[in-house]
Amino acid sequence: MRRIYLVLALVLIAGLAAPGAAQQKLKAGFIYVGPIGDYGWTHAHDEGRRLAQQRLPWLETIYVESVPEGQVEPFIERMIQQGARVIFTTSFGFMDGTLAAARRYPNHIFAHASGFKRNRNMATYMADFYQVYYLNGLMAGALTRTGRTAYVGAFPIPEVKRHLNAFALGVRTVNPQATVHVRWIFEWFNPAAAKEATEALIAAGADVFAFTEDSPTVVQVAARRNLPSFGHYSPMQKFAPRHVVSGQLVHWDRIYIDFLSKIYAGRYTADNLADVDYWWLLAEKAVELGGEPGVPINPAFRAALQAARVSTPDLGRVSVYDLVMRRLAQMSAPQMTFDPFTGPIRDRKGVLRVPAGKRLTVGELTSMEWAAPGVVGPWPKEP
Amino acid sequence: MDEGGWVLATAIRAMALGTPILWGTLGEIVAERSGVINLGVEGMMILGALAAFVVAQLTGQPAVGLGVAAAVGGAAALLHAFVSITLRANQYVSGLALTMFGLGLAGLLGRGWEGRPLLDTLPEISALTYAGLGLAAALWAVFYHTRWGIVLRSVGEMPAAADALGVNVALVRYLAVAFGGVMAGAAGAFLSLAYRPAWTEGMTAGMGWIVIAIAIFAAWDPLRAVAGALLFGALFHLSFRLQAWVAPELLKMMPFAFTILALAATAGGRRGQGAPEALGVPYVTGER
Repeated sequence: MRRIYLVLALVLIAGLAAPGAAQQKLKAGFIYVGPIGDYGWTHAHDEGRRLAQQRLPWLETIYVESVPEGQVEPFIERMIQQGARVIFTTSFGFMDGTLAAARRYPNHIFAHASGFKRNRNMATYMADFYQVYYLNGLMAGALTRTGRTAYVGAFPIPEVKRHLNAFALGVRTVNPQATVHVRWIFEWFNPAAAKEATEALIAAGADVFAFTEDSPTVVQVAARRNLPSFGHYSPMQKFAPRHVVSGQLVHWDRIYIDFLSKIYAGRYTADNLADVDYWWLLAEKAVELGGEPGVPINPAFRAALQAARVSTPDLGRVSVYDLVMRRLAQMSAPQMTFDPFTGPIRDRKGVLRVPAGKRLTVGELTSMEWAAPGVVGPWPKEP
Repeated sequence: MDEGGWVLATAIRAMALGTPILWGTLGEIVAERSGVINLGVEGMMILGALAAFVVAQLTGQPAVGLGVAAAVGGAAALLHAFVSITLRANQYVSGLALTMFGLGLAGLLGRGWEGRPLLDTLPEISALTYAGLGLAAALWAVFYHTRWGIVLRSVGEMPAAADALGVNVALVRYLAVAFGGVMAGAAGAFLSLAYRPAWTEGMTAGMGWIVIAIAIFAAWDPLRAVAGALLFGALFHLSFRLQAWVAPELLKMMPFAFTILALAATAGGRRGQGAPEALGVPYVTGER
């Protein structure tokens, strides 16, 4: 009998103590579309979550992985039952489910990655690579011997088309005759498809490779043929130390830490998020140039890039290496003095897409369907 | 590129991608010939891929990784054998469960192994490729020209009759299913040691299902499995080569549709004849 009193007392104490602790902590839930072990998109989001948790002592996080896109709502419900006050949903396909949940739980805070629908308690966020792809393109244009660069694309959607076009603009800046040959695999993750697409591009004579797919396959295939490539999303230089020139790296933790800190400080509430859209680029350090953190250009390619020279309207005649570093600095500055999508830019059919002196807006960037000059290959939904 | 170059390049790609498919398919054919369908190929394959990668990383010996992967695949298959042969559970359910179990377990155990380059790899067109081709011929010979083949096939066609003749039905089925697992595990090892080479969660990406489809549409014939695996590999590669001229949306389905169509069209009357009569039916002594 006495033992029961003891248990009751403990339960009471725990019950009294728990709300006190909960007031101190902010609980955030992360919903992932893929497995954490994908070494791509979901892996990067989870790195961001873990870094945020390390940096913010008042933060507590929970997550679920491999959530099918149509079934996000029950997972949101469960996280809210588990006490999460902030929910991050990290796939475009979660958009409508997240919005529905945001309307049903007006006092909770939601943030949706890569989408465009917001609500008073739902923000959107994206770390975008188009500037980095442009820099990769500059280097690819200098390194191609056949005049044919290659791009293995996941899906022909505006996000990938924007990156591909930025890459092509970079290639053509250095090498006006060069082309970008495209193959689509219609999957975010499929190593076999990425591999055969790369082999097909090699057979078509391409000799420098960029891509959008969540595995280091393209890098590995190119390296086996002794051809240079650019890593994507995760550090991939280690998969081919002598062949990865550079690449794109993401730092979702920058966005997560900023957003959560503002919630904790009371600046963001469930009432003022309707206009909160993180569109973070190089300047915010949400993305980084390189195949390895802290290494914007693999030293193995330094000499080749310094030997290649190019004429520019604003910097005169410079080496491609210097041009990349200069453009990187310009785009990393708080006041961006350079943007790849500055007019005049015509698409590959000759239609003027960016008038002279104009820059594309975020809305125009996120709805891009046209193909840049030099792009060779299929382009579904080409206007 | 000239025509000779096209043919040669496509043949090489067909052999590279065809190797894991062929290994998996031959294993599945043997299992199904004994009357046990195993839908767990994807699960066994990915367990093999992870085991091979981890062992190769730790020992620096890809060949050891391959051996361990085969053993892991075989052990996973024994689970299916126990549930579906000894416990006589529904083979389809048990196989599906094995696929889910394998994908889940490999994902869990593989955490932290993604993003690590493998220094010692296997070549893409390797002894495994030729062994697969040789094994197909050997299996064909065993099936149709040896006593073992007759025993295996009669267990799959009419287990009661085999039982009456003194054949240990359960033992034959156990061995056949385990052989299927060994082959699937080795196929997974090829993916993570040679074809990729790397570990990523979910890296088999549906290859196990392609294997099951080819086993069926090859009419459970090892030689036709060679044709199916190589045809699929060639078409899969060509679906990217041809994107320069044909809409990629159409090409996406081509390897799947054409391989199945080609195998089905050439099967003629053999498909009905080839399907093991007792496929998917648990055997209970004395019941008919």
